[in-house]
Amino acid sequence: MNIVVCVKQVPDTATERKLRSDDKTLDRDAADGVINELCEYAVEEALRLKEAHGGEVTVLTMGPGKATDTIRKALAMGADKAVHLVDDALHGSDALGTSYALAQTLKKIGFDLVVLGSESTDARTGVLAAMLAERLGVPQLTFSNKVEVNGETITAQRVTDYGYDRVEASLPAVVSVVEKINEPRYPSFKGIMAAKKKPVTTLGIADAEIDASQVGLANSWSEVVDFAAAPPRAAGTIVKDEGDGGVKTADFLASKKFV
Amino acid sequence: MDFTLPESALAVQRGVTDVCARYDLGYWQRCESEKRWPQEVWDDLARGGWLGLAVPEEYGGGGQGLLELAVATEALSASGAAGGSAFTYVLTPGFGALTLARHGSPRQREELLPKLATGEVETCFALTEPDAGSDSLGISTFARRDGDEFVVNGRKVWITGVQRATWMLLVTRTVPAAEAKPRSHGLTILLVNVPEAVAAGSLSYRPIPKMGANTTPSNTVFVDGLRVPAANVVGEVDQGSRVLWDILNPERILLAAGGLGAAEVALSVAVRYAGEREVFGRPIGANQAVAFPLAEVKAKIELARLMVHKAAWLFDAGLPCGTEAGIAKLAASQAAWESADRAFQTLGGMAYSLEYPVARLLADARIGKVAPVTEELLLNHLATRVLGLPRSF
Repeated sequence: MNIVVCVKQVPDTATERKLRSDDKTLDRDAADGVINELCEYAVEEALRLKEAHGGEVTVLTMGPGKATDTIRKALAMGADKAVHLVDDALHGSDALGTSYALAQTLKKIGFDLVVLGSESTDARTGVLAAMLAERLGVPQLTFSNKVEVNGETITAQRVTDYGYDRVEASLPAVVSVVEKINEPRYPSFKGIMAAKKKPVTTLGIADAEIDASQVGLANSWSEVVDFAAAPPRAAGTIVKDEGDGGVKTADFLASKKFV
Repeated sequence: MDFTLPESALAVQRGVTDVCARYDLGYWQRCESEKRWPQEVWDDLARGGWLGLAVPEEYGGGGQGLLELAVATEALSASGAAGGSAFTYVLTPGFGALTLARHGSPRQREELLPKLATGEVETCFALTEPDAGSDSLGISTFARRDGDEFVVNGRKVWITGVQRATWMLLVTRTVPAAEAKPRSHGLTILLVNVPEAVAAGSLSYRPIPKMGANTTPSNTVFVDGLRVPAANVVGEVDQGSRVLWDILNPERILLAAGGLGAAEVALSVAVRYAGEREVFGRPIGANQAVAFPLAEVKAKIELARLMVHKAAWLFDAGLPCGTEAGIAKLAASQAAWESADRAFQTLGGMAYSLEYPVARLLADARIGKVAPVTEELLLNHLATRVLGLPRSF
């Protein structure tokens, strides 16, 4: 099975994250780039599927030059090879542009199964898997906490507000995973050393037949108009319990439409 | 001249830091107060091959050397384990694997190295005696030859990790110290199967209540009529001092690396607090009386690290490294102590609360100035052997 895992480099959530004042995109120099946490779960799931069914795991990332650190991490975990889509023209692409660019690349490199984390810790749109499936014309099995492959059929448990749905599709397909699906392995010493020698193919937009008018900041369908720091947290409501604490709490929750 | 660490050591730095990131200061604090072995960390390190770094690849290890072990030890220590818990890295990867990789017989290597590489078998090292600490050549634990065996009697103290060890590297005299010429002659190092010896009643141990470093218990060990096969000699009979220095120098270097990590972690606690704690309307770190001592600690850590890496590099290259190992240990333990002490001063009264990590780090750093070798003995070596000053003893 030819499995492609899409991984994304994001600014470390432990450091202060900033947007650039000039074009209002992410300031990638302001924070250390790390692999998006959910992408580690995606890599782990891809590796487990490979271990169970054979085949190959390819890492695909779209990002600037320094995203190679993230690729190496995925390779150190055990992926076989990587494709790095890097081009200045891609800078500032929104989810639509990114899904188009990744879909074009996936068509180029081929796949039986695409695995992604269900969202990234920076943009948090959570829509990439669905957009990708649509662009590729294949089924989507999103927010999965369990995935099984049986021949040409893939089954997943899709997490919902009320439990989970069991969904089934034929391969090829796109799967996105949530953090409950597995426990990602740490790269081993041998894994890290071996990763240095694994092949990484670099593609520009021309190589992947990406139409420059569909990607980049200028062609994004969404625009960051302005941004501001989140206001400091205001003091909460303190309810003094005079025998009616329960009622007051319920009223408060009802007023906020929680119950 | 190239100060960049080799790729192997950089991989270790990244990999071990990654593994240890899951375990914070709170985790280590709990292990310390519960006096328990950090089993979860040990298992994670074992799984990634991080314990077998210095075991040759043909025995399932990483094929690296002391430099990589030192970098790993620093990373573990810096994650919050601090120097005492970094001893987890010294016991088996250092005492056991590193020693047998260099001095083990083919049989010893084949039998033990693969299991030491995975952490499935653990080791400890027994040298110090109640009447022979700094004067380690003056030990009296005696191994008498009896056919194909040695019969050992004696007593050891401050032996760490006996509880978990399958094998103990036991340093004995096969020629009494008073008769040995030179005095370093007549030492023999034996591999003792601890569970078997305990079952036979010829070895017992009693933990020593300690001020800190309680994740790795230290013990008094009683050896009484212990029979050890002659095939279990590490190196050669009477020539144990050659092996001994290849245990003691790496121990100094690894514990120096542990001291670096301890210094870093105490410094980061202090820096965070100094940046956040406001008194008189500004963070206390804005006061140079608070800031400069922390800056000095940083400089001392960096200097000590250079020496740790140099000493490890010398050892790996098979070159003499005793003086450098001593300087590394001296510099790193002083940096660790100063860092913990300045962290204490920075946190003020809060440092005295066991809800903050500084008290543990302070107790932990204090022992580094004494063990595995006192600062005075290291200075004495420098004074007499390097500067050529007259001997005091």
